[in-house]
Amino acid sequence: MFASSSKSALYGRLAASALVVAGAASLLASCKNYLDVEATALNTTEATFATAAGATAALVGTYNMLAGDAGYGNRISQYYPYDSDELIGSTGPIDGGRRSIARYKAFSTNTEITNPWNRLYQGVERANICIANLPTAPLYNTGAAADTATLHRLYGEALALRAQFYLELVRNWGDVPAQFVPTVTGQDVNLPNADRNATLKRLIDDLAIAEKLVPWRSAAGVSNERFTKGAIKALRARIAMQRGGYALHDLTMTRPADYLDYYRIARQECLDIMNHRSEHTLNTSYLETFKSINELRTEAANELMMTVGMGGSSSVSDSKLGYYDGPRLSASPSYGTSSGAITIAPPYFYAFDSTDVRRDVTITLYGISSANAYTGVTLANGTDGKFRREWRVPLLPGTSNYLGYSWPLIRFADVELLFAEAENELNGPTADAQKALLEVRARGFGGNATRAAAGLTLSSKDAFFKALVNERYLEFGAEGIRKYDLLRWNLFASKLAEVKAKIAQIQGGSVPYGTAQVMVPVPATIYVKAVTGGLQFQRSFYKTAPATTPTGSTSVNWAASINAAYVANTQPSGTSYLGSPSTGTGLAAEYVEKAGKELLPIPQSTIDVDPALKQNSGY
Amino acid sequence: MKKYLLMLWLVLCGSIGLAFAQNRQVTGVVKGSDGETLPGVTVVLKGTTVGASTGVDGGFTLSVPADSKSAVLRFSFIGYVSQEVAVGDKTTFAVTLTSDTQSLDDVVVIGYQAVQRRDVTGAVSSVNAQQIKDIPVNSAAEALQGRLAGVQLNASDGQPGNQGFQVRVRGGNSITQDNTPLYVVDGIQVENALGVIAPQDIASVDVLKDASATAIYGARGANGVVIITTKGGKEGRTVVAYSGFAGFRTISKTLPVLGPEDYVNYQYERASQIGASAGGLTTFQNYFGTSAYTSQRLDSARFAPFIDWQNQVFGRKAFQQTHNVSISGGSKGTTYSLSLTKNDEDGIQLGSNYNRYLANFRIDNKVSDRFRFGFNTRFNNQETLGAGTGAAVGTATNGQAVATGSNTTSRLRNTIQYVPLAVPASSRSTALDPNAFDADFYANSSLVNPVLAINDEYRSDKRRTLNLAANAALNITKDLIFRSTAGVDITDLNTSTFNGRNSPTIRQVSGGYNNLPFATITTATQTSINNSNVLDYTFKHEKHSLNVLLGEETYQQKTTQQYIQTNYLPIDISAERALANINQGVLPAGVTSQPVLPNTSIPNNYTLLSFFGRANYSFDDKYLFTLTAREDGSSKFLGYANQHNFFPAASAAWRISKENFMQDVKAISDLKLRLSYGQAGNNRIADFLYNQLFQAGSAVYYLNHQQVLGSAATGLSNPNLRWEVTTSRDLGVDMGLFNNRVQVTADVYYNTTSDLLVNRPVPAFLGYTSQLQNIGRTSNRGLEFQVSGTVIQTPDFTWSATANASLNRGRIEDLGPNLNEFYLSSGWAGTASTIPTDYVVRVGQPVGLMYGFVSDGFYTTNDFESYDAANKIWKLKAGVANDLSVTGLTALAPGVVKLKDLNGDGTVDVNSDRTVIGNANPKFTGGINQQFTYKSFDASLFFNFVYGNDLYNANKIEFTSGVYPLTNMLGLESNRYRSYDNTGALVTDKAALDALNATATVAAPSRQYFLQSSNIEKGSFLRLNNITVGYSLSKALIQRAKLNQLRFYVTLNNLATLTGYSGYDPEVNTRRQTPLTPGVDYAAYPRSRAFLFGVNLSL
Repeated sequence: MFASSSKSALYGRLAASALVVAGAASLLASCKNYLDVEATALNTTEATFATAAGATAALVGTYNMLAGDAGYGNRISQYYPYDSDELIGSTGPIDGGRRSIARYKAFSTNTEITNPWNRLYQGVERANICIANLPTAPLYNTGAAADTATLHRLYGEALALRAQFYLELVRNWGDVPAQFVPTVTGQDVNLPNADRNATLKRLIDDLAIAEKLVPWRSAAGVSNERFTKGAIKALRARIAMQRGGYALHDLTMTRPADYLDYYRIARQECLDIMNHRSEHTLNTSYLETFKSINELRTEAANELMMTVGMGGSSSVSDSKLGYYDGPRLSASPSYGTSSGAITIAPPYFYAFDSTDVRRDVTITLYGISSANAYTGVTLANGTDGKFRREWRVPLLPGTSNYLGYSWPLIRFADVELLFAEAENELNGPTADAQKALLEVRARGFGGNATRAAAGLTLSSKDAFFKALVNERYLEFGAEGIRKYDLLRWNLFASKLAEVKAKIAQIQGGSVPYGTAQVMVPVPATIYVKAVTGGLQFQRSFYKTAPATTPTGSTSVNWAASINAAYVANTQPSGTSYLGSPSTGTGLAAEYVEKAGKELLPIPQSTIDVDPALKQNSGY
Repeated sequence: MKKYLLMLWLVLCGSIGLAFAQNRQVTGVVKGSDGETLPGVTVVLKGTTVGASTGVDGGFTLSVPADSKSAVLRFSFIGYVSQEVAVGDKTTFAVTLTSDTQSLDDVVVIGYQAVQRRDVTGAVSSVNAQQIKDIPVNSAAEALQGRLAGVQLNASDGQPGNQGFQVRVRGGNSITQDNTPLYVVDGIQVENALGVIAPQDIASVDVLKDASATAIYGARGANGVVIITTKGGKEGRTVVAYSGFAGFRTISKTLPVLGPEDYVNYQYERASQIGASAGGLTTFQNYFGTSAYTSQRLDSARFAPFIDWQNQVFGRKAFQQTHNVSISGGSKGTTYSLSLTKNDEDGIQLGSNYNRYLANFRIDNKVSDRFRFGFNTRFNNQETLGAGTGAAVGTATNGQAVATGSNTTSRLRNTIQYVPLAVPASSRSTALDPNAFDADFYANSSLVNPVLAINDEYRSDKRRTLNLAANAALNITKDLIFRSTAGVDITDLNTSTFNGRNSPTIRQVSGGYNNLPFATITTATQTSINNSNVLDYTFKHEKHSLNVLLGEETYQQKTTQQYIQTNYLPIDISAERALANINQGVLPAGVTSQPVLPNTSIPNNYTLLSFFGRANYSFDDKYLFTLTAREDGSSKFLGYANQHNFFPAASAAWRISKENFMQDVKAISDLKLRLSYGQAGNNRIADFLYNQLFQAGSAVYYLNHQQVLGSAATGLSNPNLRWEVTTSRDLGVDMGLFNNRVQVTADVYYNTTSDLLVNRPVPAFLGYTSQLQNIGRTSNRGLEFQVSGTVIQTPDFTWSATANASLNRGRIEDLGPNLNEFYLSSGWAGTASTIPTDYVVRVGQPVGLMYGFVSDGFYTTNDFESYDAANKIWKLKAGVANDLSVTGLTALAPGVVKLKDLNGDGTVDVNSDRTVIGNANPKFTGGINQQFTYKSFDASLFFNFVYGNDLYNANKIEFTSGVYPLTNMLGLESNRYRSYDNTGALVTDKAALDALNATATVAAPSRQYFLQSSNIEKGSFLRLNNITVGYSLSKALIQRAKLNQLRFYVTLNNLATLTGYSGYDPEVNTRRQTPLTPGVDYAAYPRSRAFLFGVNLSL
């Protein structure tokens, strides 16, 4: 008994000593580095920018911020530009969401405003990270020439991306905080509103650097979903025109005194691009320009100088183009479903000449039923048409919201018309200015220059400008351009009033038509007949409807759909217009001039945490 | 101990020897109230040193003076109420000791060592096996619910299994980080311990609540420490025991929904109101076959049999059974215990099931008087089947699965809102067949027949956990002990899901699934390794007693995860076949790649290194002091200064009852005053937040329609992150009355947390919307009471009761510079523009303030000037606010929900007319447990209650809003305001409308989700949680079968709940991704009532 207990005590002591020694040893060995853990699933900033592939991935991550629902996939491209004098965003009274934006009575808690704001700034931050790290990366100055060239190009693209994000922020929100370095802990996070003129000036300077670093399209070896030299020049021109245009300050639209300096920059950049026709030029077919997007392919002329690449059927990388807008498809077995949420401002249809091919590309007057049948829609229910689900190749039946349609950011036609505009402002309606405008217009008339020039007055600076305003109206419908054009021209309020007045005229039975704006009757009904692959309109849009329905066709309300209620609904809810009370569901119903609604409110969530930031006037 | 027994024996022998002539022998048997004999009970002749201890069979023999008929025998045993019996003329005694629910003699584990409860200076709540033995549940968390003062255990919903329990000790200190307490099982940290331990294996649970008690656990103890000791064996006696129960569960409450007639009429109203637009009369006509209000077709629908889908989905009697076999015992120096448990539990929802196999083995070996070691292993293998009712599942910071989806992924809505009728095809009607998938119906309502959906939405969650733990103790000298424990905890998770042809998920318009099935498999391995080494020194000299503990501990955890998903599987494939070979996806035309590629990640990877010490000093058992210090180092922070933090604590206790002046107060047998102060840290944040890190492949862009992977920073890094520190102060009193028959514990505490790790909103122009920062302070103050006692004790009948109640008041003291409040969204309503946020976090207020509109009934005809018949518009009176931008309707009319215009600008809008309308924090909570024995019968009755909290009934919002066409609504909508009369004609005449709606109590359904105060309800409840009645067969009878115990019992769980809450159950909390949005009732799995029969048997 005694022996055994002392024996086990010995074992015990040995075991314990072993434990203590092992414990102490492991302690000493591990104490120092036990708390150093490496994040193997993630990469540090240094590692990311140490290779060309890593740096490219960081830039791809920045491009990603352009796409998706909160980017150009839907909100920025399809909620923000409407209502305008061309198209109407989802109709209905203000709802705290997209309709509040469209009706010009938005609230600062609106998630449709908050999310794009957040995403654009997230893009700015990602670009800032690239801009800060690329020039200091070892490969930027030393190493293989190919790698150095890649990094230079990436740097230029990052500058371009940041400019694109900021342009979108400035034109929608005005004097937004601006930061040109990556955010770090400890910095002043309570930035004030930054003067937008200074911000835009900075971007224009940045892009002057960027355009030198990035090759032309033909040398870039990629399609037009990344910024190339031409696209950067076009962006620089666009920003310059924004800088040189009118903008809302407090409650009034003003334009900086130095605006002509910026028109000069824009003119020069456009001219540079126009001197490289082998890189980008007008596609001879207006239809083809957009069909290529719908058919998920490129177009030969590279008129689409920069598009936001979309795909992946996801809310963060794809677009709802053709699903959210375009003709309304009601669970068509062949083509699928679409919302048809963007409808036309009825006078827009009549702004086109009947031979202008752009009309039937830009506007659709049909829906597709669950039996795959084309059906007529009323004038009130006409939709935009540059993105159409039934055009997709391959077809995508079903209900998927995402069709992979890229968003055209800048087209060559825009460059030509910006040139014409700047040239006219600087030098008057010169031959160059006229040539540029007429080239775009002639393409719109299918190449028929004579018809395009008919009735056009370009002789004076004012007349030229008026023609240009109209040309951009016809050329860029549904491309998210019109609203911002009108704002920088300070024509927003008057054009909205004008289109509302024309809506009232349609209710009265006639409307100004075409370039000459001659009054024509608008038929109360139209008659349609389904034919293979479309609809046939049996009678003129410009003559009073016949009393009897032509055989084999169905009648659809035309002017009749623009009734008293429709007209009244373009006025603020609760008011009366021409004897009808308004429920505020129609075109820019709640818009009132000098109420500050030309800009969106800065999201409340940002205002809440930044005492230095001032909300836009009127909110 | 052995030495004392020997002495006792010698004394005994001596006394026998000395008093041979004048003494007489008495014998007897001591049993517990469960009828089991009790070995080791001390039997003492009161007032003498004469005593004995019962043997293995519970028997004892004692010599008592022959003439001392007035002598009294005192029986005492740890864990039982001591009993005194007059000797009288008796020579044999049959004594039954009742177990003491909260005896001061209990041993309490307070961190790296066990002490007598009487010596505890901190705030500790405990539960032992005896108290939970009657609760035949499969989840340890469920068994502990309501039993621990200051400890809140909330089930998120009624899903079978053991996931989703939220445990809070004293309210939870951190406002944004995980407040789960630390679990220590037999000395080893175990993740999610309540989920991997069978209630049957628990010997005791001690919850350390104040920092003086938790400080020894330092960092991980800031939210309290739950110390679980599993059952071990006893030397010298092998016990084979079986306990089992079986029974069934049924749904405890269903929500009334509209019947066919009201459903049809309401759909007509809705469609007519919308008219020709989408979702209007055309949709109505397409579905019902006509839009004529008074038509035979509609009548055939109106009078069709009512199908309440809740009966189809939750109506079953869900069978469950649990079996536990254990064998425990030991021989000299070695004890062991092996326990095997099998659970099989069907959920009340079709297709849901939980089953588990659990093995627990523990061996303790005493090699010598100086060295002992033990080994403990536990294996848990469980599978939970069924996709549940909730919104899509994500992962919370503590790794638990929580609902992160929104109304588009909820499944409860199918059950409540699906068309409540079936019309067989006949000559007079078109068929409305709810049993077939109806794509058109889905497109309109986004609803699928719930039974079809459940059958086509497979989800299996498998977890295998292996815990291995070893411990060793060496007495270096008599007073100095070295103890070491090491443990490995490995959990393998495997979650597989399959969504088949009728699954609403694949038919989501935005989903991109092309209406084809998809399957996912997630596997993860979580490994944690824990080692602690302590030196424990004890010094006793006369009245001085000193104990010093010094130690070191390391802890590391790493989780690796793999995920694969395949879309576009063949339309008719089964879940089993899809998951068995997941490579069967066929890309549809136009799709170039699978949308989700396989991916791997490391969700957790961190280490902790700590050094600690504790000194206990007591003088004369009267004055007790404890000093604790711990230094923690965490890999989650950067640099030595941030990584390490020092957490001190001190506490003192004064046993007043030992003072001379208390000796005359006979009623008070024990009185102790405790005072403590201490700090603890919290580092439960994601890893590597101190550095800007890029996640490759996280941001994709499409070049020429080909995916290109990008890389992006994961967030705004913060190199300054450091420990969050909680300081707690506690004043407590422990009192024993009437020879400890009644025991009272009361605590008052005040905890403050500073350097809060808050995901603080930052201005979005920084490129991020939030950053984790150490900012601000919170405080929790509260009171806790626990009373336990034996109310009645007679030889035949005992009645003991334990009650606890606690109240906690939390407050956000500070949120850092330039921030006094921020708003956030619980997210159930998806992107509903009228619920951009629904909670507010505000300085000076507690967490859990609900934020929304204030209800004001509905518009009546008195609110309108007139009706403009030509334009079909009601003209609002001047001064009456317009809330059209909130309700989703196109025009105001009588009956439309009316909200208060708080800023008085004439319009109610989401920006300026919302306010705080609810508070999720209860005023107090508690439980009352009563146990009875009468002869061979025993019974227990357990109530728990919560008082004074508000619940956010999001279900009610969804199920009373007509957002989608053709969806059914809650029954309360039969009292809605109507604008159409019984011929289907629109009523616009004021008097006629008033007459039609004389009894209307609720507004006409809106067509938008928004939070108004009428959806905030009182959450108070009193629940009769458990009733158990048992009967033990008499020993005499069962001994013939060599049985030691045989007991049968029946149990009813969740029998009745007294509450004013209109939802399924007031105990609900479904939006738990952050702790900042408590109290939302959205798409929870309805709770059930259980009827169980069980048996306990031991050999």
